[in-house]
Amino acid sequence: MKHSERTFGDTLLKVDNITLRFGGVKAITDVSFDIHERQIFAIIGPNGAGKTSMLNVINGFYHPQEGTITYKGNQRHQMKPHEAAETGIARTFQNVALFRGMSTLDNVMTGRLLKMSGPAMRYHRRQLADMPVINYLTYPAMWLGDFLLDSLYWGPYQKEELAHRKAAEEVIDFLEIQSIRRTPVGRLPYGLQKRVELGRALAMEPDLLLLDEPMAGMNLEEKEDMCRFVIDVNDEFGTTIALIEHDMGVVMDISDHVVVLNYGRKIAEGTPAEVQADQDVIDAYLGVAHEEDLIEQ
Amino acid sequence: MFYREAGQFYTSYAKDQGIFQLRQDKYGLWGILFIAFIVVPVGLYLMVQGGLMAASTKDYLYNSIFLLLLVNSMAALGLNILTGYCGQISLGTAAFMGVGAFTAFKFSTGLNYRIQHEDDAGELVSQLVPLLPAIDNPILLVLIAGAVTAVVGVIFGLPSLRIKGFYLAVATLAAQFFLVWCFSRVEWLYDYVSSSTIQIPPLKLFGLVVTGSETVMRDGQQVTIYPAAETKYLICLSLVVFFAFVAKNLVRGRIGRAWMAIRDMDIAAQLIGIRPLATKLLAFAVSSFFCGMAGAMSLIFYLGALEGAEAFNINESFSVLFMVIIGGLGSITGSFLGAAFITLIPIFLVVVLPWLGGQFGIPVDAAMVEHIQFMVFGSLIIIFLIMEPLGLARLWQIGKERLRQWPFPY
Repeated sequence: MKHSERTFGDTLLKVDNITLRFGGVKAITDVSFDIHERQIFAIIGPNGAGKTSMLNVINGFYHPQEGTITYKGNQRHQMKPHEAAETGIARTFQNVALFRGMSTLDNVMTGRLLKMSGPAMRYHRRQLADMPVINYLTYPAMWLGDFLLDSLYWGPYQKEELAHRKAAEEVIDFLEIQSIRRTPVGRLPYGLQKRVELGRALAMEPDLLLLDEPMAGMNLEEKEDMCRFVIDVNDEFGTTIALIEHDMGVVMDISDHVVVLNYGRKIAEGTPAEVQADQDVIDAYLGVAHEEDLIEQ
Repeated sequence: MFYREAGQFYTSYAKDQGIFQLRQDKYGLWGILFIAFIVVPVGLYLMVQGGLMAASTKDYLYNSIFLLLLVNSMAALGLNILTGYCGQISLGTAAFMGVGAFTAFKFSTGLNYRIQHEDDAGELVSQLVPLLPAIDNPILLVLIAGAVTAVVGVIFGLPSLRIKGFYLAVATLAAQFFLVWCFSRVEWLYDYVSSSTIQIPPLKLFGLVVTGSETVMRDGQQVTIYPAAETKYLICLSLVVFFAFVAKNLVRGRIGRAWMAIRDMDIAAQLIGIRPLATKLLAFAVSSFFCGMAGAMSLIFYLGALEGAEAFNINESFSVLFMVIIGGLGSITGSFLGAAFITLIPIFLVVVLPWLGGQFGIPVDAAMVEHIQFMVFGSLIIIFLIMEPLGLARLWQIGKERLRQWPFPY
């Protein structure tokens, strides 16, 4: 499908005039952009431009001093990373952040933890959570019930575990990593580790998937595979994707909308073609001839 | 040849998610359980009956070796959950065991407190008043001890949100010193006796005497029944086996995955939606539960009477930490291997060193054996940390992988 033919939904995430400071250093200055549903959104810029900081702000790792973030129509309060995860934001890291002691399957299963609240707790949420007073009494009881079921690996808990195993297997099938299911991820080559990390994020069934340099350090073939997975995820599950990438070929090929950051400021925004033609972007990437240099020549 | 997965296929996720991937492993475990539950008690009983072994030797085996081994296994399981699976270093294991022991003692005597008043002659009279009826079921006592210790563990685990690694170890060291101080200074804990020693009162389970002794009339004669070593052993063994099963289930399910995620990469864990504080505190709670049970078992079954500051000092904490490191961090099997190793090496040295000294004409006394023990332990820990940081469990795993290919290495 051509870019012009793709349609997007409403604004999923609206970043408004974000400024992030570390002491006296301004990492991000007054940046705004909108990410629409089902979009593949790219953030690019030279090293140190504040791209990863931007993702960390969206994730809840950093709390910006100024500006607001509106997610799914609600303005977000200052939240912790696990709260951001609960609202459906998943993320992969620039330098692979897998759980090295665990197998591929366990890593993917860990991605489903938020959905595995336990059978008793689910009952609590469905039936009892709205009742006044009672919910405070039943919450610890249900939690303990789940814990006991867990510790015996029995009945409803086992059923839940198996249902999630099935979901995890679907992700494993999707990413074609069946053969390394039982391998500890520490032993895997880098390209596969990146893929497992994507799998862990996909297992969360996120609404917004943040990819921090998913193709960094890969060879051409691995990059092509990864591009295909990113496009497939977007296509099949309708997941909104925001990615940071240095490979301009990849960015221009797969993204619908590009934001360019330089020294923490947004210098350009638009479709890949628009951004490519932007003089500021060219200057930021290729450097700019200063007047004194010209005079010398 | 005999140990490989050939021909073993699983067609459902339920089977594939089982504890054992290989049928041989499952049979192996059943075999070990059969030996522990049936072969050992029956075999020793028959050997004593047949005159092959003195009754005192049998009691020594049970009371000094098997029970200690089981208590240590329980403690190692507890610490392994916290340190091996959740990655939080703790040096307060012995203190948590102490909390368990003192809880068991207090509940077995009915949570006594002292009231003092002056009688008519102006003398100070003390009286112990129980708050609750005394509990005489050893298993219930062990479970209560675990629960109370879990609460204490959570309190001392609170700093783990902010501090990590060595600093957390120092924070738990504070727990160690503070709690042990309590064991010898808070009189209420040891029922105000001057020696600060606690002694477990007579307990019974299903009519069997477990601690103390019972005098009954039989055929018109007074007969004193002492607890059978087998009874203690089988109760302890059942507890340890059941809770090892519980620990395995926890670590292979969602809770264990959350623990390991926090251990391996806590930033990524948070992004998946794992709450770091709740997860770490749960690890502290479960770990302390196990350690508390180990302490209660140590008091009820193994020692009978003990002095808190003596029995649960920092050496014991280190000893459990060594079990976990030598056995293998993050492995249930490793906890048992480590506990067996650390428990049996001193006993082995006590037996072997004097004999060895005798061969060369060198007198070896008890103090020397103790010193040699320290040397052996020190060097073993260093060797393990360098050669195989993942411990005996890893060696066991490597051995199994070799066995899979044996005798055809292709």
